Amino acid sequence: MITGTGITKVFKQRGGVLGAREVPALRGVDFAIAKGGAVSFIGESGSGKTTLGRIIAGLESHDAGEIVIDDVPMSSLSHRRRQPYFRRVQLIHQDPYSALNPTRTIHQTLEAPLKLRAKQTGRPRSWVDGRAAELLAMVGIDPGYVLPRYPHQLSGGMRQRVVIARALTMDPEVLVADEAVSMIDVSLRLGILALLKDLRERLNVGVLFITHDIATARYIGDDGELYVLYRGQVVERGATEKIIADPVHPYTQSLLSAIPVLHGLERPGAERVVPREMQREGEPDGGCLFARRCPFSTERCANEMPVLAREEDVEQEYACFHPRRRSVIPVGVGE
Amino acid sequence: MTANTAARDIEAPGVRIRDLTVVYKTPAGELPAVRGVDLALAPGTITGVVGESGSGKSTLALSLLNAVQPPGRIAAGSVEIDGLGDVLTLRGEDLRRARGRQVGYVFQAAQNSLNPLKTIGKQLLDLGRSHEVEDLRGLVREAKDLLARMGMDGARVLDSYQHELSGGMRQRVGIMLALVLNAKVVVLDEPTTALDMITQATILRIIREVHEERALTTLVITHDVGAVAEVADSLAVMYGGRVVEHGPVTEVLGEARHPYTQGLIRAIPRLTGDLSLARALPGRPPTLGTLPAQGCVFRERCERRMEVCETDEPVAVNRDGRTVACHAADRHLTLIKRKEFV
Repeated sequence: MITGTGITKVFKQRGGVLGAREVPALRGVDFAIAKGGAVSFIGESGSGKTTLGRIIAGLESHDAGEIVIDDVPMSSLSHRRRQPYFRRVQLIHQDPYSALNPTRTIHQTLEAPLKLRAKQTGRPRSWVDGRAAELLAMVGIDPGYVLPRYPHQLSGGMRQRVVIARALTMDPEVLVADEAVSMIDVSLRLGILALLKDLRERLNVGVLFITHDIATARYIGDDGELYVLYRGQVVERGATEKIIADPVHPYTQSLLSAIPVLHGLERPGAERVVPREMQREGEPDGGCLFARRCPFSTERCANEMPVLAREEDVEQEYACFHPRRRSVIPVGVGE
Repeated sequence: MTANTAARDIEAPGVRIRDLTVVYKTPAGELPAVRGVDLALAPGTITGVVGESGSGKSTLALSLLNAVQPPGRIAAGSVEIDGLGDVLTLRGEDLRRARGRQVGYVFQAAQNSLNPLKTIGKQLLDLGRSHEVEDLRGLVREAKDLLARMGMDGARVLDSYQHELSGGMRQRVGIMLALVLNAKVVVLDEPTTALDMITQATILRIIREVHEERALTTLVITHDVGAVAEVADSLAVMYGGRVVEHGPVTEVLGEARHPYTQGLIRAIPRLTGDLSLARALPGRPPTLGTLPAQGCVFRERCERRMEVCETDEPVAVNRDGRTVACHAADRHLTLIKRKEFV
């Protein structure tokens, strides 16, 4: 179990005539990821979803807040003593073309972390080769074919499977998949998603899925939880199926409305929400972060910042003064 | 509406690609990236071409400009554009003038096709001068109008360098540069790849609106079936250098006939409906080197493969406005019925 409370991160930008500028990437985010669970972070670029994933994987520091892994607060430990905890969280990179060392065979790529793992767990050296083959079989590729090859000899889909196998060498409890299929050919994407789903069930490993595509998040874990991030704030959070079916925050509704309609198979939702303006960089804070773009914002939204909370008649949490259910997602033609 | 349609009939040119074959020189000899493609773009429509990497979709798009670069070579066929003739016979200055004037091209990742050292305005003036535009003020006015039309502050954008613009803004600048010389045929290569969801929806809406206002004939190349579904009138599906299916977008998506199209649609995760119906296509897309020399290019991944698919390449058959190249396509209905008995 990994939980975070009040995770805050500010990036300091240097340069410009006015000197340093501070860009808030995360504004006090709370989260919880259970073993075997599925949690998805959804948002556009600049929402802080990738930064949050990197913080959870121990690859990035944060400025305030606490991360607790298996009941141990990470701030109580030295950097060195934290490492065994963050080992339990492994990151799957977005780009399988640059995530693998081109000068190493897949065997070498898997051998190094497995040797380390053998040492940590007191297993004999002979365990390593068998385990490498086992992991590759687990991610659905033929070890005999892949092990002696270099990354450039493999297709994108195969490379991504190798990246996943490498993440599994450390026996993780949580896999952080950041846009893990965005660079894979369309016909192969579902295979990778199905693999992640399958690993969840077979190995009871939790999956933190970071994406801008809500439909893929649904595929990984329709029984899981969805966090919608906007400019570093969680604006809506709840059961994935619930938020997709009944979103109440206008930003979530905008994201869902933006998903292309497969005309011929689907009709557009009746109340598609289109933001009034495009996102701008370096927008000032104050009031609701989405107020300027929101088609439903009022004076209150411009002056006051809503906090994430739950009302009695709504299942999910949301940060909005004017929540309202709208049917925004496409409807199947036959439904 | 009637006036608009009438204007479209007069102005928008038709494009007819006939029996186009483009080969690339490789150590294994010349291999076809596009082979025997017939595709007509009806005047005033948006045609979407979907395909995975290596399907030949970008090569096909470049052929419209006669801009296939070595080691590639257009080996056969013709690309006829109304008012311009066969693009593949154009050479030198004639070809250079046609590019931009008659055929506008928005390159994949427009963000990377802009010059980082010059402001957008400077690049616009370069474009005008290279096409001997006399009224450069008029050109700037036209550019500002187009940018305003796409929701941007034209004067500000023209004074900006590309790094000062976001991805969605650069994409719109790319569209402006493709249209500013009043090209009537526009090719957009992956116009929404690497853009955020909401930005993508905005760009697709802009493409549709500008297309209608200016009476264009538009070709959109993409790997994203959703993006095409949202914007296109007709949809061509490419696989292994062939157009395997082509027809009105709602029909191709609603009742796909080629097994590849069917598999591709099934492999898209959806927001509603039964998740267990989504299925990945087995195998992987072919590359130039792994394309089978004879028979159907899709047969290795096809669930309806027959003996004839090993030896004979299926020919594209046109029936009620739809084209399908598959030996099994006509058996579609019987197969579905059979499943019900199981």
